[in-house]
Amino acid sequence: MRDALRALRHAGAVVASAEAPLEMRPVVADPPRLQRAEPLEARTVLVHRVEGEPVVGIAAFLDGIQESRVLAHWRDGVPIVHGTVAAAIRRRAGRTLTAWRADAVRVERSLFVPRSAVGEAAWSALASAGSVRDTLDEERAGAWHPQELTARALSAVQRRREALEVACAELWCGEGDGPLFVDGGIAAAGAAAHSALAIGVVKSHRTLYVDGDALPVVLGLRAGERTTTFTVTSPRRASVASWYLRLRDPQGHDALWGLVRVEVALDAGRPERADLVSRWLLAERAPVSLPDPRWGAMAYGIRLTEEYLRAVTR
Amino acid sequence: MILGRVVATERRPNTPHEFHFWTALDSPVGIGTIVRVAGPPTGDGRLLSVYGVVVEGFSYTDLQTPLHDVLGADGDPANALRAPTDRTEIRLYTAHALRHVPDEPLQPVPMGEVHLATDDDIAIALRMDGYLRDDQRTAIPIGVYRSGAAQSPIYLDADFLLGPEAAHLNISGVSGLATKTSAVEWLLSAIFAHFPARKGSVAAVCFNVKGPDLCFLDLPSDKLDDADRALYEATGVPAAPFADVQYYAPWTARGHALATLRTNEALAHNVHPLSWGLREVLQYAEVLLNKDDVDAKADALIDFIRERVVNQEFSDGILPRAHSVRSFADLEQWFRDVLRGMEANDAETWRTHHVATIRKVRNRLTNISTRCRGLVTDDGTSHDLPFGEFRDRAVYVIDVAASEDDAQDLIFARVVSQLREQLERRTLGVDHVVVFVDELNKYAPSDGPDTYVRQMLLDIAERGRYLGLVLFAAQQFRSQVHRRVVGNCGTALFGRMDMDELATPGYATLAPATRIKLSTLDKGQLMVRHPHFAQPVFVRFPRPAVLGGREGVERYPAEPEPSLETAVTRTLRRLDASVTLEWVKQAIVAAPEDEVLRARNRTLQARPEDVKAYFRAQFRSRVATEPVTARPASLPLAGSGSSDPYGF
Repeated sequence: MRDALRALRHAGAVVASAEAPLEMRPVVADPPRLQRAEPLEARTVLVHRVEGEPVVGIAAFLDGIQESRVLAHWRDGVPIVHGTVAAAIRRRAGRTLTAWRADAVRVERSLFVPRSAVGEAAWSALASAGSVRDTLDEERAGAWHPQELTARALSAVQRRREALEVACAELWCGEGDGPLFVDGGIAAAGAAAHSALAIGVVKSHRTLYVDGDALPVVLGLRAGERTTTFTVTSPRRASVASWYLRLRDPQGHDALWGLVRVEVALDAGRPERADLVSRWLLAERAPVSLPDPRWGAMAYGIRLTEEYLRAVTR
Repeated sequence: MILGRVVATERRPNTPHEFHFWTALDSPVGIGTIVRVAGPPTGDGRLLSVYGVVVEGFSYTDLQTPLHDVLGADGDPANALRAPTDRTEIRLYTAHALRHVPDEPLQPVPMGEVHLATDDDIAIALRMDGYLRDDQRTAIPIGVYRSGAAQSPIYLDADFLLGPEAAHLNISGVSGLATKTSAVEWLLSAIFAHFPARKGSVAAVCFNVKGPDLCFLDLPSDKLDDADRALYEATGVPAAPFADVQYYAPWTARGHALATLRTNEALAHNVHPLSWGLREVLQYAEVLLNKDDVDAKADALIDFIRERVVNQEFSDGILPRAHSVRSFADLEQWFRDVLRGMEANDAETWRTHHVATIRKVRNRLTNISTRCRGLVTDDGTSHDLPFGEFRDRAVYVIDVAASEDDAQDLIFARVVSQLREQLERRTLGVDHVVVFVDELNKYAPSDGPDTYVRQMLLDIAERGRYLGLVLFAAQQFRSQVHRRVVGNCGTALFGRMDMDELATPGYATLAPATRIKLSTLDKGQLMVRHPHFAQPVFVRFPRPAVLGGREGVERYPAEPEPSLETAVTRTLRRLDASVTLEWVKQAIVAAPEDEVLRARNRTLQARPEDVKAYFRAQFRSRVATEPVTARPASLPLAGSGSSDPYGF
């Protein structure tokens, strides 16, 4: 960061005053929506009680973090963003989590700069000071709205974080020795999307993969119940088997509280496998992830991995 | 092996004297552990090392409130055990710096690796390296510092324990945990084994103030286990009882036996009476007379008696004869004649002393022998410690456990005064004397009247180190002992302490965890403060290699007070093995008991060649006894056979 600031000053940028991370700024997100998914286990989406006691089965946890902030402003309000991204796998050893291997902890710090907007001279000056990534993947003549450039920088940071997560996931699925709890979906996780070892757990539900008739089924799930499996398909992502699982009773909360959507490789979407994976995930409800506000759906192993990443990136 | 890492935050920064470090959960670190911080190279290329002792430990998880854990376990503690992942937990320790190397400039402890201290580290950390060098060794082992499997002997500096740099030792601890007395016994063994010859000779005078605590120091313990022997071996102290121990005790009130629990005949060879006559006692009359008794007038009369009357011929116009006052009985006779003479002359004063003052002093002085019966003899005989003939590495135990408070005070005052005087004159026989006093709060209380004994203890504490007179004192509550006495003790030992005592201001400098540890110490554990140690350290010491008091009285039960004849026989037989009970019975027949005891005491004091003759000579001559023959039967009156009594 200090080297980057020095390079920016040298290149003629105006160093920004301390600003909040971009991740903390309000963003205009896609509107919440319902999207029908093709049932796998039954003809329609149904409620299914997960049979059997919760059981410990997860062998490791994968999570990633990112933090970016505007470091300086170039001419015409072009933001120069510094981003830190990291991903790590923490492996279960007894009742604690430890580092799996050195290359399963990845940290990157880069400047995210719109190359065409700052010009080659400034780009070269910044590149000489450290890692620089272009936030524009298209050539376009004319001026850019500064906020659009900031949003593109944020997207670029996010993509780098996802890339690190995918690299870690592929590493585990190639050489790991047990189920990997992935924070988020696995459909974009390259080879991991086809591995029986990867279990994606999605906590946010801006897109609910049900149609209007099945919505009450999902929202009405009680703790320890899941839906029947369905297929999530996307043009640029791998198809995966998925189901909703209620980890905690939502009483006193909104209807999506304590609800996760599980993604596994399509081949691993058999009902009995879905039950087993659900039991693994139910076992991870304790200890709770408080004080994290997402504790209703967040596994403690993921919280620990996040804390670990925060520690190694600061 | 790296044990931990130093950490500091803005809210909890490190200082030159205090630092924080974290460790793995299973690290062998606890309160009292000594560690070394390996810092960065200093400006001149030397590596900075900071040594510290752990004084506080913290453990916490990422929980913000215990309620979160309750929620996570659905209110059932058993559920928490079923959680597949343990909460992240930290072990964070606070240590107080013992030493910085190099010591200048003194800066806050840097971030660095924390290591368990090795033997060499401990020597440096506690500044023992200065007195462990072969050519200047003055190290006295006090115990073993234990950390995990490692054991490192901890040494005190003899110059700071026995003088002249500093001196005196104070030990505190709750009663009944075999800490105070055991620690002193162990330390005396260590001193006798390690005190360097070039520093002179050393002996110990121990006051046994309760039970049989110190009554068997010359007998081996049967309770030493392998761990104890390992501690003795590690510290280079022989696991053996004291080789040269002499016991002293006053007589009982009846005077037939000594007032001690070491009265078993098998152990009588080194038990000696302790009794004083008028001459010895009058020097310390102030001990027994409180301020109400001794005003200026009374004091003047006592001085007059001491200087002009005792142990010399004294004549005066009002006295019917010359007096030679050598005993309390003589003194009583002298007083009687003085008062009679004053009455006869109708005088209110004699030699400027008012009759009321004379009566008062007579009353106070002459009842000393009653108040201290057994210790103070009416007849003037004296049995004392071998002042002038003290032996190197000898222990002299004075058993005052069965004596009244007045007698205890008198014994203490006189013995310590004699030790001080003879050490000053270099005539005691040894160069250093350790005086062990238990229940110091009784003799030098922090409040209460300013007694002679307390003044004497203050004097020893403040000036004794220059003379070689060293005070080893013990008490349950240090806070109840005069501040100047404990304050002058260079070395302080603490066994298990009472929590109420630890709440007193004297312990405020200790960290809370250290105080808690002090309140839970096991037998054989001590916290040690010593001038060379920047912070107190915890050590273990072995059981003393001497027979404990309780075991001693079980194995060698005290004998009931014998009859007069048996008592005399036992005493004289120590001087002459041919003395028999029958002979004694013959010798003392018809003699009053006090005369028999006086004869015994004088014989014991004189230790004559011919014991029997000397003993017999002590009795007043009496008309030789003759065997009683049968009285001749009365002759019958004539005619007594007749029934008529008047018939001739």
